[in-house]
Amino acid sequence: MSVDIQTGNTRPMSILIAALGGEGGGVLLGWLIESARAAGLAMQATSVPGVAQRTGATSYYLEMMAKPASGKTPVFALAPVAGQVDVVLASELLESGRMIERGFVSPATTLITSASRVYTTAEKMHGGDGRFSDQRLHTAGQDMAGRYVALDLQALAQEHGTLISATLYGALAGAGVLPWPASLCEEIIGRDGGRRAQASIAGFRAACAAVAAPRLQQHLAALQPAVQAVWLERIARLPTAMQINAAHAVVRLSDYQDAAYAGQYLDRLAALDLAVHLVPDVAAEAARLLALWMSYEDVFRVADLKTAAPRFARIRDEAHAGADDIVTVTEHFKPGVDEIAAVLPKRLGRWLLTRVKPGTVGKGMHLPTSKVWGFTALRLLALFGRARRRSLRYTEEQLAIDAWLKALAEAHQLAPQVVRLPALRRGYGDTHARGLRNYRHLFDTLVQPALARGVTDADVAVLKSAIDAALADPEGPALNQALEKAGMVKLPVTEKPIIWATRQRGVGA
Amino acid sequence: MERSFSKEIESLRLGAGEVFEGEGILAVTKALLQSGVSYVGGYPGSPVSHLLDVMVQARDYLDELGVHVEACGNEASAAAMLAASIMYPVRGAVTWKSIVGTNVASDALANLSSPGVMGGALIVVGEDYGEGASVVQERGQAFAMKSAVWLMDPRPDLPTMVRMVEHGFRMSEASNTVVMMDLRIRACHLNGSFIASDNVAPKISSRALASQPAGFDYSRLAHPPATFAHEKLKYTARMPAAQAYIESAELNEIIAGSDEAYRGIGLIVQGGLTNSLLRAMALAGLADFEGNSRIDILVLNVVYPLVPDQLVRFCADRQAVLMIEEGQPAFIESELGALLHRQGIKAALHGKDFLPMGGEYTVDVLREGVVGFVADVCSPAGLDEARAAIDDVRALVRKAGESLGTMVPPRPPGFCIGCPERPVFSAMKLVERELGRFHVSTDIGCHSFATFPPFSFGNSILGYGMSLASSAAVNSFMLPRTVAVMGDGGFWHNGLLSGVGSSLFNRGDGVLILLKNGYTAATGTQELVSTPTTGMRRIAEGASATSSDMTIENTLRGLGVKWMTTVHNYQVDKVRSALRDALTAPERGLKVIIAEGECQLERQRRLKPIMAERLRQNLRVVRTRYGVDEDTCTGDHSCIRLSGCPTLTVAPSSDPLKTEPVAKVIDGCVGCGLCGEVADAAVLCPSFYRVDVVSNAGWFERLSDRLRRAVILMMTSKKVAA
Repeated sequence: MSVDIQTGNTRPMSILIAALGGEGGGVLLGWLIESARAAGLAMQATSVPGVAQRTGATSYYLEMMAKPASGKTPVFALAPVAGQVDVVLASELLESGRMIERGFVSPATTLITSASRVYTTAEKMHGGDGRFSDQRLHTAGQDMAGRYVALDLQALAQEHGTLISATLYGALAGAGVLPWPASLCEEIIGRDGGRRAQASIAGFRAACAAVAAPRLQQHLAALQPAVQAVWLERIARLPTAMQINAAHAVVRLSDYQDAAYAGQYLDRLAALDLAVHLVPDVAAEAARLLALWMSYEDVFRVADLKTAAPRFARIRDEAHAGADDIVTVTEHFKPGVDEIAAVLPKRLGRWLLTRVKPGTVGKGMHLPTSKVWGFTALRLLALFGRARRRSLRYTEEQLAIDAWLKALAEAHQLAPQVVRLPALRRGYGDTHARGLRNYRHLFDTLVQPALARGVTDADVAVLKSAIDAALADPEGPALNQALEKAGMVKLPVTEKPIIWATRQRGVGA
Repeated sequence: MERSFSKEIESLRLGAGEVFEGEGILAVTKALLQSGVSYVGGYPGSPVSHLLDVMVQARDYLDELGVHVEACGNEASAAAMLAASIMYPVRGAVTWKSIVGTNVASDALANLSSPGVMGGALIVVGEDYGEGASVVQERGQAFAMKSAVWLMDPRPDLPTMVRMVEHGFRMSEASNTVVMMDLRIRACHLNGSFIASDNVAPKISSRALASQPAGFDYSRLAHPPATFAHEKLKYTARMPAAQAYIESAELNEIIAGSDEAYRGIGLIVQGGLTNSLLRAMALAGLADFEGNSRIDILVLNVVYPLVPDQLVRFCADRQAVLMIEEGQPAFIESELGALLHRQGIKAALHGKDFLPMGGEYTVDVLREGVVGFVADVCSPAGLDEARAAIDDVRALVRKAGESLGTMVPPRPPGFCIGCPERPVFSAMKLVERELGRFHVSTDIGCHSFATFPPFSFGNSILGYGMSLASSAAVNSFMLPRTVAVMGDGGFWHNGLLSGVGSSLFNRGDGVLILLKNGYTAATGTQELVSTPTTGMRRIAEGASATSSDMTIENTLRGLGVKWMTTVHNYQVDKVRSALRDALTAPERGLKVIIAEGECQLERQRRLKPIMAERLRQNLRVVRTRYGVDEDTCTGDHSCIRLSGCPTLTVAPSSDPLKTEPVAKVIDGCVGCGLCGEVADAAVLCPSFYRVDVVSNAGWFERLSDRLRRAVILMMTSKKVAA
């Protein structure tokens, strides 16, 4: 602790709490206020919650000091000052970053943060991965704070059936920064009595102990051991960069279709490797995206995954269902004509699409997979997947895959971008249709012409910005803006209905 | 109401000598009772909502005292309430959020301040300025000046705030003028203590009724020719009376400086900034942390009117003075400049030349300004350290920025989990994809959050209840029909008249989406004319109670709205159809879609105890939540872009081939079903499923469940890797 609050005329000790609206930060502040009063300190606390700062970033600020011998009331500030905060407590990792950004974390600061993340809308709505790097936040915390403590206080709270306010308070106590003992904290928390207070105290103690004696955690993920010797031998012949992804892919594709299909995957990779020597990053990415593409999600696949063995146990666990509770699961389905045509045999599917307008959808189905009839229906559908190779979509996907692999082999310096393209084809329904449109447009108007006339550095920049735009903002105008900026062909205009309304003019209209 | 104030109500009863501990705005509330108010009114809004909320909840106690409490329809009706003090010797107080509320109230304010008041009248306004604020345009000072209303800006500590309330009433009576008290956000939420005095039961009140109305007195009407006389009175009689009161009661304070070296300079500061100023000075070595200053400071707890004699005394014989005035324009500095010039005072006046014109005066800003001023005028050597400290802060912030690499993403407030307004905007997104973009005029309320991502809706935002009115002209030149979004709070606040009434009268076209959630939700779920009754809410249990109240529908029908439909928000498909119909209907005329769905905060508050009680009694309870199948999720996040629900988030995929995060429903999901509905309506994805967990099921239900599970287990595919 850099400030001894018992000495005479020094700056008051300051605690800044960064939290999210509606999270219970007010409860924590209440505990701190009551504790400080009980400890006989002069104290002032304030906050900017608005009345309803719903889920947004907010903060609470508290200053305290020993009552001056002069009998005067100290003058407390109402807001934190950069470089002048003793303790910063954050209920969420990104919020600790926000405090760092504003200069509230200095070498004089103890920064305690929950390592848990509540993603912001900006991070979540990104079409790919828009998450702010946890690592960067941890590094900044370590760089900037005199002392840095990070642990998952949200998980600890959940584990003890309480809210994060309790574990935040525990972390403060555990870090030894409070000018009063932990027993006083517990007394204040326990004042209201009842089960909730008991749970809060349990959470408080757990966090207090965890901060006092940080545990080392193992973060190594194990690989699936299910890849058999036959496959190993074939995989070993691939470039090293492809091998791990290829091993995962073999397991996945055997499950998706059959062993022959997994073999076809390895053949494709081997052929690619034979045609061109890709740099390791691109090779690994090619192996990964090819596997995902070959296991595209059609209704057979969805039905299969929805009736897979571990699923119900996982759902029960997720819903925190007790052993005696009955859990019913209802699926939300709404297959469109495109999806139905996709799994029909080639000719039948094409015929269907000539009779019914693509994009047409039926009524939404709510299918209870925890009931026998619902489960049976899905299971049967999953079994039809064995005939997938005769389906319309299979034919189309395989053609597109081969075209992509061919382009990849010829792409030279454009390869790091061409390899990313399949990521655009994700999703279902409208999302998939839009993704497919974006993919085809970029492939036909950027990749193919560039390969035909020889790739330039300008092509790389244009394709990169186009893919970035399409991933970040799949529905919006970003892709078109990127294309326009680069002087490229924009997406074909989609039809929008024109609405005619009577427009009466003149007096008395 | 969102918050219960049972503890706080107890502290309102405290008697003389007892210690009040709590929030600033509640200390002000207590001070009103100590001043013997007969009536209190207001309109909720951050940061002063708690004043009215606690009063409304303390109705029983206030009844004992005879204090009348009114939750007014808008700020204009709150201001108009003060008319009671024009002709009767009764004290009254009203409250609202400034500057927006003051704008709405300003017509009544003008006509209130013309005749002036007999009984003390106080307006407590929350000056929503700086961090955490939603309206930072304009200053209350301008309204005080244009209406000749006195303005207090007290030092933010509880004893001073309480003292100023009590003096505010006396000053109001001494000068026959309404007094406004300005409290900044952090002052309202400041937690501290003061020694209470006894509450005073008003002499004329709902318990001690006045036997007859006041006699006719034309000079008390805001009507010509009386107003011509009022204009003279304001500045010849009332203002001098107020100035005399400020001097004699010592409302403004002088903090005497201890350092002879600084005798030649002085600081003048708005009371509300005093603590920040003293902290800034302490950090620069110009004061200590107990509030002892080395430089003379004049603290203006009353910022309008200024007291010329006091200012002249403070500035005379000084080399230079710094006026510390937050906000723009610099009204006080200008008036002070004119005064010093007229009186021939030589002191150089500084202010906005060392301090920024706009923005919040934080400790950092003040430290830079004051150090700059002192160094410029006195250039003492001791300030080198202070200047170095300022540079250190800059270096610290720069280093932090470098360490983080990029800016952390912003986190604006958003819709709550299960908020019934979110699905309406999801439906709007879907219609937009289908029909193309349309002009959207938005309004004030929780639904303003739809202007943030992922929805990003809105071409204009003009004020509370103003959305429909603000699209009146756009309609005349816009090919696609326009859409106005309005909440029920804004509708009753003024949207009914300025929007719907005006559109019908002018035979306007366009669509109005009226979000009927039953409360003024954004300010803390206060009640409205159309709030479902307690009985309706009890019957509704977990369902939306707002479907049972027809006040809005009946009002619109009575007004002559022909095209009107009510949809339940959670049926995204139906909301979408309704909007599509409204946008494409061939006939002209206002089309109103009432999107009904009770505020989830209120619904959950009602539901939680019911569920807990049922579980306790071992009764059958069904709990619903939603989930996403990680295996089928492709990680495109289109569901998130159509929802924005806090519990629909992303998580790392456990599939090693998927490097991008997949969608996930986390704990806290209240089972509103929007994500599933959107997935259906937008034909997104089959990954969403609903889970119903039945606790305490009967024997037959348990037996059939066991049988079902056994059969399903037999059919389950045994996944084996090849």
